[in-house]
Amino acid sequence: MSPLAHSARAKQFGGPARHELPREFVAFHKRRRIMDAIAELTAEQGYEATKIADIVRRAGVARKTLYDNFDGKEEVFLAAFDISVEEVMRRVEEVCAEFDGDWDERVEAGLGAFLSYVAEEPARARMCMVEAMSATPAATRRYEDAVQGFVELTGRNVPHSNQLPETIDETLVGGVAWIIHQKIRRHEVEKATELLPELAEFMLAPYRGVAEAEQGRIHA
Amino acid sequence: MERLPRGRHGLSPEFVAQNQCERLLAALTEILYERGYEETTVAMIGRRAGVSKSDFYKRYESKDACFIAAYNDAVERVREAVRTACAGGGNWAERALDALEALLVFVVEDPARARLVLVEGLRAGKGVYDRYQEALQSFVPYLRDGAPAPIDGPRPPEATDEAVVGGIASLLARRMLADGIEPIGDFLSEIGEFALTPYLGAAEARRIISER
Repeated sequence: MSPLAHSARAKQFGGPARHELPREFVAFHKRRRIMDAIAELTAEQGYEATKIADIVRRAGVARKTLYDNFDGKEEVFLAAFDISVEEVMRRVEEVCAEFDGDWDERVEAGLGAFLSYVAEEPARARMCMVEAMSATPAATRRYEDAVQGFVELTGRNVPHSNQLPETIDETLVGGVAWIIHQKIRRHEVEKATELLPELAEFMLAPYRGVAEAEQGRIHA
Repeated sequence: MERLPRGRHGLSPEFVAQNQCERLLAALTEILYERGYEETTVAMIGRRAGVSKSDFYKRYESKDACFIAAYNDAVERVREAVRTACAGGGNWAERALDALEALLVFVVEDPARARLVLVEGLRAGKGVYDRYQEALQSFVPYLRDGAPAPIDGPRPPEATDEAVVGGIASLLARRMLADGIEPIGDFLSEIGEFALTPYLGAAEARRIISER
């Protein structure tokens, strides 16, 4: 039986719920619920309108619990942001690792993994790609750092040449981000995976010319 | 900022109102650039514009309302600069590059308004997103309209035009907050190639840019 079901059953049989679960698990799970709550709430009503009272109510925790774990609303937001970026990065990198030789299959698969995450987690997507930009200055910096992370990830996985503009990785990532941003704003992000063919073509085309030229040189 | 003459000046109320609005928008834009939105107050805007607080509130309901008006004004100026630059005609590629060049010149010559449009558009909240999105969309026809049919393969899909514009906008925003975009010529070559490649292929894009 899962730990959660276990706890629910304990409640069912009357009396105060006794936490038969390991303390660390409960603590971790409460942190998780707090961060999920802020993702949902900022997606629904924006960062500014979201109050601590809303967060603790949605998360089903005591105010004290929130303040035991976080300094305040901003810290909750930043923690939730960081975890989401870590998760999607990890997913993308895992998928990319499966495509050893073919850079274009790797980039397309990585992009596909990103779009899947965004489609599966619309509240997180909105929090990270829309709300973070206007929440607080620290959140905006986190967003810029995350973008930079994806720019560098792209750079590590594509063929390079000094023929390409220096800024190509940045503009491609920025362009993809803009398309997804608009989808999120229009509440259409659950269908983000449908964008894969167009966005993959957009990302791969500039590098293909380089790759072909490389091959031409090798086989000449 | 030039105030109107004091006392009875025989200028129409409409003219006075219009003039005050222009000064207030210019003042907000400047102070925003210097201090950021949170630090900008109605009192500061009024002082810079030479407009009393009560007159401020005759023109705008709030700082936010003034901000939105300033945003719209800045977007219109960018659009006008680009329209003027493209009025010279020429083929599709020349026109697209003229549009991009006009945008870069605007960024260099009017950094406060450029930052307002390109940076605050996504950061400010306050209902400017729709205007930001529209402003970017208004650049899409410079790429989409009259683009030649590619020699090999189908037209790039619709999302490509938007992604090109969005990518350039985000690059400009980041550069404006960092080392800037000068020399413009080099920067134009980079983003010009990025913009033309999906339609013409990299080699042709590079050739056109090098001959410009």
